Amino acid sequence: MTHNVQAATVSVDLPLISNQEVWMNISLIKQYHENMPLAQAHDIAIAALQRLGLEHIAFKRNPSLNNEERFGVMLLRAVMVRDAIVIIDRPFKIIPHLNKINFFLDTLKKIEDFYINCHIYDYKWMEERYGELCP
Amino acid sequence: MSISREFKVGLFIVLTTIVILLSLLYLAYEKGFFEKVFTFTLSSKSGDGFTEGMPVVFSGFNIGKVHALELNDKGIVLIRIKIPERHVKWVKQDSSFILYRPLIGASRIIVTTTNLHSPQLPERKIPEVDIVNDINDVITKVPPLIEKITLIASNLETLSNNLANPKGDFNRVLSNVAKVTENLDNILKKVDKIADKTDAQLFGKDGTLPQVNNILKDIVGKLEKLNTTVDNINKISQEASEGVKDFHILRSDIDDTVNAVNDVVNRLDDLISSKKEPEFKVP
Amino acid sequence: MSFIEKIGYFAISLAKSFTDIFFFAGIILRRMLRRKTYSSAMRTVLVNQIYFTSVQILPVFLVVSIIFGSLLIGIVFQLLKGLGLTEFFGNVLMGLIVTELSPFFTVLLITLRSGSAINTEIAVMKVNGEIKTLETFRIDVIDYLLVPRVINGVASLVLLSSLFSVVLMFSGILFSNIIFGIGIDAYTNILLNSANFSDIVIALLKCAIFGFFATVIPIRSGLSASNELTSIPIAVSGGMVNVFTAIMIIEVLSLITKLF
Repeated sequence: MTHNVQAATVSVDLPLISNQEVWMNISLIKQYHENMPLAQAHDIAIAALQRLGLEHIAFKRNPSLNNEERFGVMLLRAVMVRDAIVIIDRPFKIIPHLNKINFFLDTLKKIEDFYINCHIYDYKWMEERYGELCP
Repeated sequence: MSISREFKVGLFIVLTTIVILLSLLYLAYEKGFFEKVFTFTLSSKSGDGFTEGMPVVFSGFNIGKVHALELNDKGIVLIRIKIPERHVKWVKQDSSFILYRPLIGASRIIVTTTNLHSPQLPERKIPEVDIVNDINDVITKVPPLIEKITLIASNLETLSNNLANPKGDFNRVLSNVAKVTENLDNILKKVDKIADKTDAQLFGKDGTLPQVNNILKDIVGKLEKLNTTVDNINKISQEASEGVKDFHILRSDIDDTVNAVNDVVNRLDDLISSKKEPEFKVP
Repeated sequence: MSFIEKIGYFAISLAKSFTDIFFFAGIILRRMLRRKTYSSAMRTVLVNQIYFTSVQILPVFLVVSIIFGSLLIGIVFQLLKGLGLTEFFGNVLMGLIVTELSPFFTVLLITLRSGSAINTEIAVMKVNGEIKTLETFRIDVIDYLLVPRVINGVASLVLLSSLFSVVLMFSGILFSNIIFGIGIDAYTNILLNSANFSDIVIALLKCAIFGFFATVIPIRSGLSASNELTSIPIAVSGGMVNVFTAIMIIEVLSLITKLF
């Protein structure tokens, strides 16, 4: 862990900015935090979406996404924070129909070089959905 | 994406800014900001009506403006006007300068050049400005006019007060006059009838003439009463100087009538005494 | 509540909303002058804002100003001709249309189109928790959301209003030439005689102030929305009424400055 780690939260309470396209939601972090030029931030956002196989939704907006896509975009937005410690708050509230943690872990694995660490927070009674993560 | 949004926005800002700047530059150019400016000095005995920034006009076109006003040691006002280079050709040695102060609108210095071939006005020569002064000319004419108007207005007021009052003198006079003329009419008819009758009837011992005489004398008395009324009115309405003329006319009319009736009476008297003239005519 | 109390309450709330707006305007103004505010993200928003406010409506705006402008100039000219005041044509054009009418027309357009949009947008973002999201990601809401909108308001109003004036003057040439047979030289001479740099500067300044408040007030009132959906219409209608009041106040103030 370095000194400059920053928490980056993925939560149902922190929705995507609805009047901006998906790629802009992601590039916004780089543009604002690092003052990165638009074109460069755009390319990074598209590349990140490709990592999750979501490049086809790059020009969509929040309301037209399904739950999995929405989670992917929110996660990508979080990992755009430099030296991010990703905090996922109640993942099953974002994708309620899942009953196994596997999807989240798979997604995290695909982009594990983007972040330093990841914490998942949830209620105690959701334990069983986490399987062997909670022995 | 053929043209990016950034490009469109940039284009909009750049083009609009260019349009605005060009308009402002054009304005500045036309107003002579970038031109060589010639300064001429005019003189006037009075600085009245001159203001800095006042336009200098040639044939209705602005060609320059008053730059500064100064008072020199001899008490003469010096007016420095600035004319841009392209308009200098209108200002010649024999140009005349007139300060025109119209009643409505801004005052201006009008340059008139009859001979455009004469040499250019040297900057050290100081021609004098004539003043055409609509406002002051009008203003000097106004006070006497206002006095007259006030007088007329007050006369009109008294007059119309008198006229409007149903118990006022004028209306009383009018009704009296109406009565008198009615009486006169009757009398005259009678007189006419009498005249138509024969001499015998007229001059008989109990003939009509003495009676007529009496009646006529009665009328004269009445008319004289009327006269005094009119005199009274005259006194009252003397203030209404102009309006009084009418009363004078009225008065003289009544006088005439009185005189005429008197005449008739006299003639009748004559007739009765002489019994020689068989016929007479009433006026 | 007694009548006097009502008056007092009204006065206090009026004074509060005035100080609130001026305080808020002060913060935004300070941020506008700070270099750090102009991040890449903020510039992207600014470009989008200008695009939606000015560029997108430009064709309609130009057509409207040509039609409106030529008709207006025609009517003004006919009126002045009828009154025998043709020599004041230039003064009316410059003094009334350029310095008064075009800022007013443009600010109405911008307020109706963009002011209302900004007001709703901010209120929805507030209700939706998007403002909170930005804060969580350490994105300054004033720098990122508000300043670009205000700058856009100022820039768009100044640019569009000037464009309106220029287009109007040009269409005036055509109109007065075709209908009234005034030569281009005479027309430009009339305009140049009555054009005044200080008037133009005041008009531009007024546009900038219009643009500033036509966006600051809707933003402020959008931010005043609570977390309930029903607070959105309240915030929007209140904001729009305040903008209208502000426009009137600015207009009256500018007219007062003209008197001296």
